[in-house]
Amino acid sequence: MSTMTLYADRDSVIHNHVSPLTKVLYVVVSIAITYIYPDLLFVLLVTIFSGLMLTLGKVFRRILPILAISIILIISIVIVQGFFNPENQTELFSIGFLTFYKEGISYAALLTLRVFNMIMAFGVLILTTKHDELVEAFIRKGLSPKIGYVLLSVLQLIPQMRATMGKIADAQASRGMETKGNLSVRMKAFFPLIGPVVLNSLNSTRERAIALEVRGFNTGIKKTFLNAAKEYHHQGFIQLILWLVLLGTIVWRILI
Amino acid sequence: MSNRSMWSLKLSTAAIALIPAAIGINYLGKLVAGLLKLPLWLDSIGTVLSAMLAGPIIGALSGIINNIIYGVTADPISTVYAITSGVIGLIVGVMAYKGWLKNFKTVIVVGLVVGLAAAVISTPLNLIFWGGQTGNVWGDAFYAFLVSNDVPVWLASFGDSVIVDVPDKLATVIVGYLIFKGLPNNFISIFQGQDKIEEL
Repeated sequence: MSTMTLYADRDSVIHNHVSPLTKVLYVVVSIAITYIYPDLLFVLLVTIFSGLMLTLGKVFRRILPILAISIILIISIVIVQGFFNPENQTELFSIGFLTFYKEGISYAALLTLRVFNMIMAFGVLILTTKHDELVEAFIRKGLSPKIGYVLLSVLQLIPQMRATMGKIADAQASRGMETKGNLSVRMKAFFPLIGPVVLNSLNSTRERAIALEVRGFNTGIKKTFLNAAKEYHHQGFIQLILWLVLLGTIVWRILI
Repeated sequence: MSNRSMWSLKLSTAAIALIPAAIGINYLGKLVAGLLKLPLWLDSIGTVLSAMLAGPIIGALSGIINNIIYGVTADPISTVYAITSGVIGLIVGVMAYKGWLKNFKTVIVVGLVVGLAAAVISTPLNLIFWGGQTGNVWGDAFYAFLVSNDVPVWLASFGDSVIVDVPDKLATVIVGYLIFKGLPNNFISIFQGQDKIEEL
């Protein structure tokens, strides 16, 4: 069954020797420290480190399309901060009548690097971890299995609903539904497209609820796991380092 | 409406199974809006609908899980707004329970409240994470206009969020309400009802 995932199956250190929870901690720490200590060079180093982790996981190329999604936000940050940052004083360069200021541009660079680091740190987690392994790791840590079910089933449900959507779009188009034209025409097309899919999915929700109930979804008995937990070594040590980095950055920020 | 408390954490299986469907509907709403080139996102119809059907807890869970899933499968940035989505579900759920879905006028009030609340929650997030912008062209143009006229950054950022969120959430709530009204009654009773699965 097709699922939605960005996971890339590789044979690397990050895939095989770092546990999902350690990677989650990495995401949190790596994003947090770039916001705790707002120094351009420091944030650049953290970003490079995240990039290094991706390279180590052999998935660096996979992060590029994800970075591309945020490009509008970044362009907007650079333009708006470069022109309009209230602290703008020092003229950096100007193109025609447009003038960029040093303060705004360096602030924009800081924000951009933070966004890049955020996405790349996430990439370390999501490109190298199977989502079912991640969810199971959380359930072992005490997440409710019901929420675990919700998380995993969404990933399978969305491709199914997308397929249903395609069928309905074809069916409505064959009945003469207009999807191009002015705004009111396009707005009118929204309901015939979304309505049947919504009804369809609520209907299958009902069926799914019965199926789950029959299989003891609501029992209070402790659930077991289908897959054996993968063994990882030295995770405590890596996690300790990550906590120390976080603590160190906070102390550094307070002292300086 | 059912006579149980809307805050009951004893969620029925049907209500839990509704969450993935809600997230799927969110996704499709965004997909169709993009397909038809509508000037809105309409990416929280499922959250709104699930809150109307099953109350604030399910609504909030749908919202939060929606952004986490979206963050993990497509765009990590959207994870930041998990709180906003959760609050949208929460508010719609509470207002639906308190009887604000009576007619079209009250629904518009719900939409405005949700839009404003979304802007209020998003503003500090935008300020912390990207210096106050939203990444939406119109909103950011408005932000730039306000900042260049010496409006404080936080207020400009709030203006940016309002311009982006209020029309979108208003439209989302109206669409959600129209779908909700069109549902057969036996659908609605499953999700609001008690745990009696044999009623299905």
